[in-house]
Formats: sequence, structure tokens, C-alpha cells
Amino acid sequence: MNPRSDHHTRRHGRGAAGLALLAALALACTVAPLLSDGAAPLRADSDPVLTALTDGRGSLSFALLSGLLGAGLGLGWAVLATALGERTERRLMAAAARLAGLPLALLAPLGAGLMGGGLPLLALLVAVSAAPLVAGLAHGELRDLLRREFLIAARAAGLSQGAILRHHLIPNAVRPLLAAGAVALPRALAVESFASLLGLGLPSPVGSWGATIGLAARLGDGLALIPAALLLSLSLWALHAVADEALSLAAEGPHGGAATDARA
Amino acid sequence: MTTIAPALADPPTTNPPVAADGLTLLAGDRVLIDRADLRLEAGAVLALTGGAGAGKTLLLRALAGLPLPGVAQAGQAHVDGRRLLIAQGGRMAPQRPLALQAADVIGHHLGLDTSAALRRMADALDRMGVPAAARRFDLPPDRLPDSLRWAALFALAIAVGPAVLLTDAPAAGLDPTVRLRLLHRLADWARESAVALIVAGRPEDGLDGPADQRLALHGGRLLPTPADPTPLPAPNPARGRAGTEVMTARSVTVSFPLGVSPTGEERRLTVVHPLDLDLADGETLVLLGETGSGKAMLARALLHLPPPTKGHVAWMGRDLAKADAAGMRRIRRDLQPLFPDPAAALDPAMTVGGQLATVLESLRPEIPADRRAHRVADALRAVGLSADTATRWPATLNPPEAARVGLARALIPEPRALVCDEPLATLSAEERADFWDDLLTARDRRRLPVILTTERVEEGLRHADRALVLLMGRVVESGDADALLHHARHPYTQAMLSAARGEAPALDGDAPSALRPPDGCALRLRCPKARSFCAQAVPALEQVAPGHQVACHYWDTP
Repeated sequence: MNPRSDHHTRRHGRGAAGLALLAALALACTVAPLLSDGAAPLRADSDPVLTALTDGRGSLSFALLSGLLGAGLGLGWAVLATALGERTERRLMAAAARLAGLPLALLAPLGAGLMGGGLPLLALLVAVSAAPLVAGLAHGELRDLLRREFLIAARAAGLSQGAILRHHLIPNAVRPLLAAGAVALPRALAVESFASLLGLGLPSPVGSWGATIGLAARLGDGLALIPAALLLSLSLWALHAVADEALSLAAEGPHGGAATDARA
Repeated sequence: MTTIAPALADPPTTNPPVAADGLTLLAGDRVLIDRADLRLEAGAVLALTGGAGAGKTLLLRALAGLPLPGVAQAGQAHVDGRRLLIAQGGRMAPQRPLALQAADVIGHHLGLDTSAALRRMADALDRMGVPAAARRFDLPPDRLPDSLRWAALFALAIAVGPAVLLTDAPAAGLDPTVRLRLLHRLADWARESAVALIVAGRPEDGLDGPADQRLALHGGRLLPTPADPTPLPAPNPARGRAGTEVMTARSVTVSFPLGVSPTGEERRLTVVHPLDLDLADGETLVLLGETGSGKAMLARALLHLPPPTKGHVAWMGRDLAKADAAGMRRIRRDLQPLFPDPAAALDPAMTVGGQLATVLESLRPEIPADRRAHRVADALRAVGLSADTATRWPATLNPPEAARVGLARALIPEPRALVCDEPLATLSAEERADFWDDLLTARDRRRLPVILTTERVEEGLRHADRALVLLMGRVVESGDADALLHHARHPYTQAMLSAARGEAPALDGDAPSALRPPDGCALRLRCPKARSFCAQAVPALEQVAPGHQVACHYWDTP
């Protein structure tokens, strides 16, 4: 086995492990409330593991919601920039690059603190904090795609712009764009947890790992802190692993084809 | 990486500096090199050729005393005296200035201090023909042009002065005229300094030219290089009896915007200067030139992929720029391209058959949909592929198969001309011969006029009727293929022909940057015939014989 295929296997293994872990976490978080005795979990005397799992519902579903929103925003940004012509493209992408360099994670607690919170506002702020990164990645992928020789071959075959878009561009763009979008999920979870840690995140009826960690740290309750912190780190690792895997699969191209250069 | 084997004592012996007796290399129970016998005298130059994976690198490393881990060695390999191996890729520490690297390496081997080492390095650079002004001692290798980096690497080896120099794929990737010049200089130095030199590379790299002895690795055996298995055909003047003109290009110019200069004027990079071209029915026209000559951009402009910046192209009297969508589709049906990287020109997300069917659907709408699969299978069989290639994904094709699929795609709409841009660039020497056969068969059977771009001058001329030689976007010589092959007048054509035959080209230095072309003739900084007048005017094409034009102020001076 050559080193390259060995490397491939290891990377694929990591993505699969991440996906399996995420599925297990989602399942555990869903069934956790059924395992409690039915009474509202009083934080002082309930089982810390069950509490953390129950909190996971809030954290994970909010990360999914705001992550998808952020991915959509970022992808829309990149597609719009690419479609609007060189000048606008340069401006839009320069703005994305500048924004991606700022500590946008502060945006969520700052906005929630100033404007009083609320789920929709928080979701929007988290999405905005993830969007520039997604836009940058997606734009790079789109630019690479537009430079590919098979698009010129398609023009030589007399295909119209619309046919090239339908038959060649969209089928080849889906994978890299989805992969770029996947990067928004771990970012959304991290930003939400950070805001909740400061007490400026998800509103109180919705439990969240960040909020539990923050509360436990303030109360000095190590027993409540450890499960929540562990589950949060595991989820972040799993989401990152899946996103990395998606990006590397997109770079490989469909059907084992090289997405960048056939003879690289 | 410059791998320097430990310096060995140099006892005076009668043995040749390199001797291998029954040298066998094994990985597990697999024999990689089988009983290789080799003797190389001091001052002899050996070309060691072999295809990809033939074991050239393994053999060189075994001779350098640096066998790869996991490779067992049997038999005898003696190398006397100091040996140096210039490994594949010729990499040096990318960010460390050249002067410091030279001082390190020369100091390590010869125990010289920095200034003495640099003096030695400067002398060695002189030997490699690097002009003093181009000696960028303070630059790291990453910022040197490839040719200068290779010259510096060879100079470093010369400065150390080994008894045996082993080079793996030396100067690979450089233009033929530059590569052959460096290799000849290195070989001349080896002969004068009684150094045993081995240059290893692919058969198509032209390493045989500078060498005195030639060996080829084939199937693990080291054998004398066979005579050229497929001698190139002589150009056949009877074949291309030119018919009527089918394609005309007038004042075709290709340039790219470079932004706005500080003075407010728009700067453009012109890669093809205004140029006229005609293609007659049944004729094969070859566009020759090295990197940056503009041949590929010209070929694309002729197909309007994209259209030229200025000028116009007409196919059968119809201007491509004025054609409407339906007219353009008819022209595209007639004019089909072959791409330099056939695999990259196939959509990875669509099967081979799907792509060929798309071409039929677009360019031959009169063929009913249920006949398309049949046509696709026929087209694939016609280029020597099996019909079930249609169900394969492009990523599963090897380079010769991808090249054939590219040919099938070009031929499936039954075009009336082919524009081929380096169609064999991704193929190895044996694969090239086969693909030439297919391409020429398709051309002759359909009497197709063909435009072909290539940097392999001799190969191009032998398969063509007429040729244009391009240098930095201008035609410097044009004429019948036979005339150019035997009576080339322009120094650039002559140099490319010399390089193709393995001789030392008469040009010095490197091609100038397209961003800062020299005034006057683009070749004058490299040309042996250059005089001061060459800087004052760009030479225009003048007739030197019927149908033979040259753009050189001094083409008639010896």
C-alpha cells in the first residue's frame, strides 16, 4: 500500500468516525428525556449526564439551524459574487476575506446583549459569523471549477451557456459547494456555545451545553461541568472531521476523478 | 534535494570510476533491476533511459550508495572517488540564498571558506554559461527561474568537482533548447575534467544527444539502447496537395488586460501579435514554438475559445465573429479541437458515452436519439477503444485511453477540420507513436485539414505539410515542412531542430519574460547572429525562397 492511499484510508476513517459519533450523539440526546423520571430536571439534584444529553438537543438543533442558515448565506454570497462579473466579484470577495479575519464569534453575544436576545436574532447572528468563511471557501471552489478545461470542451461542442450550466457546471459544483457549506456547522456550534457560556446565548427554557458549562463553572460544580464539556468537544471534533472529509472528497472529484488536475 | 554522498578517499586505481557487475535490486521477492552490468570510464558520459517506473532512480541511488529502504542489493557496484547525485526534481533548500547553500556544500566537500567557495561557484557558473548579470547569488532558489536553478545546481556539482556525477532527470521540464544547452555544457565539462557522468531520464527527453554511451532500462534489464524503434517518416510532399483555402485568419491578436498603470493607461499582455494564417483543404499546418510562443493561444483563438482580442477568423468564408448561434454551431461541428490534457477536457461527473452523446445531440441534432448510442460505440471502436468504454467514468481512463476518447469526441460530429493543441503532451514515447498512427489515419481517411501545435519540432515537421514557427507571439519563419526541416533559416528554428536531434543549440540564456519583452527582435539576447541593429526594429517576414519566409535581419549571414 503506498503512503498516499494509506493517508486516504485514514482520512476516510476519520470522517466516518465523526459521522457515526454525530449520529450516536443525536440519538442519545433525543432519547435522554425519556430516561429521566419525568419531573422537570432540577439542576441541583438531577443526573449530570442526563442533563447534559438533554441540553444537547438545544445545542445540536440550534447548530444545525443556524449552521444551515450560515451555509446558505455564504454559498449565496459566493455564487452571487461569481455571477455578477469581475468588479463586483472582487469587491464582494475582498469583503468576505476581511470579515473572515475578524473575531466574528463576538458578534453573537454582542448583538444578543445589546438587542435583548431571542432565538431568531441569535440564529441570524451566528449564521452571519459563519457566512464569510463559507463564502471564501465556496468562491475558491467555484473559481477552480470555472477554469477547468472540460467547460471549454463543452463550448467547443456547441453547447449553450444554459446547457453548460445544467449539464456540466451544476453537477460538478454541488459537491464542493456542499463541502464548503459543511464548514458552517462546527462554527455555528462553537459560536452558540461561546455566547451561551457568557449567558447571552439560547434563551433559558432551551438548554445548551455552553449555558450548562457556564453555570457549572460559576457554581464550582465540576460534576455538572465535565459531561457537558466532554459532549461539546466531542461534537465539535465530529463536525470538524465530517467537514474536513467533505472538503477532501470534493477535492478528489466525483467518481474518483481528480477535481483539480488529472495528472497531478 | 541535492543528495551528497559521503566523500570517499580517492586511491589511484586502474578500475573505472563506475563499475557494476550483476547488480540486482530486489524489493521482497520482486526483482526491480536484474543483473545490471555497467562500466563507465573517467570522462565518459552515459545516457540511461527508461520509461516511467523502469528503475532509473533505484539504479542511480544504488550507485550513489544511497539505496532506498526496503530494497535489497545483490551483485557488485563499485564507485571510486567522490560521487554526487543530483536527485529528481533538482530541489535545493527553497528559501536559503544560493550563496549560502553553495558555501555550505562546497565548504563541506572541499573545506574551503565562504569567499573561496563562492569564487569556485562563480567559475562553475561561467562554465554553465550563466552570464554575470544573471548571477543572483543573494536570491533563494525559489525565486530563480527554473533554467537558472538547474544551471546553478549543475554549477554547484562542477564546483565540488566529483569523480562521478549522477543526475536523475536533469533539467526536466525546461524547454528543449534550454535543456539541451545545459546538458551539453555539463557533458563537455565532464569530458574535459575526466568525470564519469550519468544522465538518466525518459527516452523522449533527448538525453542521448550529449552522451557517448547509451543504455536503456527495460523490464529491469540494462541493455544497449535500441535503434529508434519507429523512425519518423519523411515529410511526404505528394500527400498534402493543397486544395482551396478553408480557413483564413487576418490580424489575429490575443492579449490580456494587466490592469491600469500608474500613469492611467491600460496595460495589456500581448501573447499573439497581429498574425495572418491560411489553411488549405487537406493540408496539415503545424505551429511550432516553445513555452510562451503563443501557439496554444493562437489555436484557441482560431476556434473562438475565446475569440481573438482583435482581428477575425473565417471558416469557409464565414466570419466566426458574425455568426449567430445556429451558424456558430455549424462552424463548431466543422471545427473540432483536441486538447493538451485529454483527461482534464472530460467532465469527471459524466460517463464517456454521456459526453459523446451530448456532442452528438448538440452538433448533429438530425441523428435520432435512439441512434446515438450506436454512433458512440462506432466512434469509440474507430479509435481502437472497446464499445463498453462508453460506460466508464473519465477518472478510470489511463492517459492513452483519455487521448483516444478525446479523438473520438472530436471525430464523432464528422468535422471538416481538426485543431490539435499539443495532443500528445501527456503521452510517453511508445504511447505517442501509437496515437500518431491513429491521428494520421483519421486525418488521411477523411482528408481532414489539421492545425497542430507542438514544441517537438522534428516530429511536427515530419507529420505536416507546412509550418509556422512562433516566437513570443510572432511568426519568425514559415514555409513547407520539408524546407524547414532541411533548410531552416531562422536561428530559433535551427536551435529547436538541433535540440530535437540531441545536438547543442546555438542559443544562449533563457527566453525573455513576456511581461518585459526586449526591444526589437525577441531572440536578440540569445541569438548568435545578433547585432546592435536587432534592438532597433522587429524584423518583418521576408521571402527567402518560394513559399519560405523568415523574420530575421541577418538570416543570410553565416
